[in-house]
Amino acid sequence: MAKRALITGITGQDGSYLAELLLEKGYEVYGMVRRSSLFNTDRIDHLYQDPHEPGTRLRLIYGDLNDSSSLNQILRQTAPDEIYNLGAQSHVRVSFDVPEYTGEVTGLGAVRILEAIRDLGLRPRFYQASSSELYGKVHETPQSETTPFYPRSPYGCAKAYAYYITVNYRESYGLFACNGILFNHESERRGETFVTRKITRAATRIKLGLQQKLYLGNLDARRDWGHARDYVEAMYLMMQAEEADDYVIATGETHSIREFLDETFGHLQMDWKPYVEIDPRYYRPAEVDLLLGDASKAREKLGWTPKVSFRELARLMVDADMKIAERERAAAEREGTPGGAASARWGAV
Amino acid sequence: MKRALITGIAGQDGSYLAEMLLEKGYEVFGLVRRSSNVARTRIDHLTQGQAAARAGDDPAARIHLIYGDMNDSASLHRAVRESRPQEVYNLASQSHVRVSFEMPEYTVEINAMGTLRLLDAIRDAALETRFYQASSSELFGKAATAPQDEHTPFHPRSPYAVSKLCAYWTVVNYREAYGMYAVNGILFNHESPRRAENFVTRKITLGAARIKLGLQQKLSLGNLDARRDWGFARDYMEAAWMILQQPQPDDYVVATGELHSVREFLDEAFGYLGLDWREHVETDPRQLRPAEVDAVVGDSSKARRVLGWRPRVAFRELVRMMVDADLELAKGEADKVRATDL
Repeated sequence: MAKRALITGITGQDGSYLAELLLEKGYEVYGMVRRSSLFNTDRIDHLYQDPHEPGTRLRLIYGDLNDSSSLNQILRQTAPDEIYNLGAQSHVRVSFDVPEYTGEVTGLGAVRILEAIRDLGLRPRFYQASSSELYGKVHETPQSETTPFYPRSPYGCAKAYAYYITVNYRESYGLFACNGILFNHESERRGETFVTRKITRAATRIKLGLQQKLYLGNLDARRDWGHARDYVEAMYLMMQAEEADDYVIATGETHSIREFLDETFGHLQMDWKPYVEIDPRYYRPAEVDLLLGDASKAREKLGWTPKVSFRELARLMVDADMKIAERERAAAEREGTPGGAASARWGAV
Repeated sequence: MKRALITGIAGQDGSYLAEMLLEKGYEVFGLVRRSSNVARTRIDHLTQGQAAARAGDDPAARIHLIYGDMNDSASLHRAVRESRPQEVYNLASQSHVRVSFEMPEYTVEINAMGTLRLLDAIRDAALETRFYQASSSELFGKAATAPQDEHTPFHPRSPYAVSKLCAYWTVVNYREAYGMYAVNGILFNHESPRRAENFVTRKITLGAARIKLGLQQKLSLGNLDARRDWGFARDYMEAAWMILQQPQPDDYVVATGELHSVREFLDEAFGYLGLDWREHVETDPRQLRPAEVDAVVGDSSKARRVLGWRPRVAFRELVRMMVDADLELAKGEADKVRATDL
């Protein structure tokens, strides 16, 4: 019988890549989605089949990490072999605007699932999406599984709770529960308010004359950026290991926002300096230090290595966004309006 | 310049209301949830070019989006403090009745507790703010009498309706306890080309348009005998605004007073495209509500008398407007399909 997996956050960047991977491996995949009056399933539309068709292996279920009763009901209905908890308010700067909501969803959401597992007497394997933001104001560089945490945002604090509660359920109840401490991972599907995607969207739109300026925060921030598709493979590998454990997943390379700008605008034969302006509203109230991961443990125990390099990542994103920008230009020409609607997204929110 | 804060600005009603208030010269603040998929297509046309348009009387410079959540008290307090609104329109909710049976806890948190949190944020800020609550004809549910007016007893029949009942009474309570200008608009069903795609009316018009263009063969629906009082969302938002302009705070039913079944909606939508819906529609019991509401039809004489409000768009016009808009959407889709075929 096919293995069953439940993914929270399936409509997000990571959820969509993970759903793809698990479907390829023959899993039945259940995805939990929040209710919204606008459909937010763009990233998985290519995977989705009408549930009225026989043999569909991807199903979407309404639920919310704030709603214990919906979680209980979903676990009862799906009885999954593996649960991947990727649902979160995942934007660090926004977590300063909605700290309470972030704590509820990103922090307490994890314990609501773990409690539902315990109440129902199920024994699924549980994956918690932990984050390099746990290291925040770092104690040492590079960071590994033994580096102490120092979270620096409501997001980081909520993720710290989720991390420890996952460890706690492993130790207290013998549950197969693991944390993947993933460093930044980007892709063509990254949310448009994250800096990498914001840059590649803007660079391609500027190239086609659809936009004039790009407003950014701290250009000196340095991150360890990998490709999301590589990182969801690591999640899967962790869940197949004999013992549940926590792993750092990272490329081990660090690059600044400036370098990302160089790479993306350079790929389009442009200089970014005339287009980029600094808007202090995009600064985080507390910035994190240089995040650089040491993924030796994952390499040794899981045999995992990243496949996509920094340069390849930047170019993949630019190429994909160029196609979107071309469609926007065509639409704008049809309607006779300059710019297209997407420019609105670069406001403060 | 008057300032208004709209929760649920990215929804059907919020987008029409924002449009209207901008036309009237308001400065508009909108609360938006965070999502990794930016879901604001209904207001993109209003916020377009915002960063560039900070100067001059460009409506885009008069609309501001604020991150927040009805579950997050601190964010609501901040939104109220930052916007210092003369008028608050609380339109945010988990607004889908059938979905409320799947996530009852979330629905009550957002719809009921969210309203309470927002009222308290206004009270704490000690502002002279007028508060509009989006109440719903679903409050009547298993209605004792028809048509329903401001005096008809409530009998909610879903977690959605129960949560809206709690919000309704909280608004009345804050009006009576603290003398706040807080009112309920009890709006009957109101649709538009911006209705979400899993509400029955929009599902039908989008389905019909896609079937017409050969993009879809079947349309799967729940209860075809359900009967509703359907108006046009923009008309209803005009009523919401009028309600807040009255000297005395009061609650109003807003409705067309006409009742039509889902079948009639199908007749009208498919008929307009020269199609027979019976060849395409299947019924799916999964889409039935665990408890259905009766024929809810509103008596809005009070709104007509006191506010001078009347619906402008009739049933047939509404259906045709929605079909026309969805036909345009489906054509765009058809172009995309052809482009990929190449």
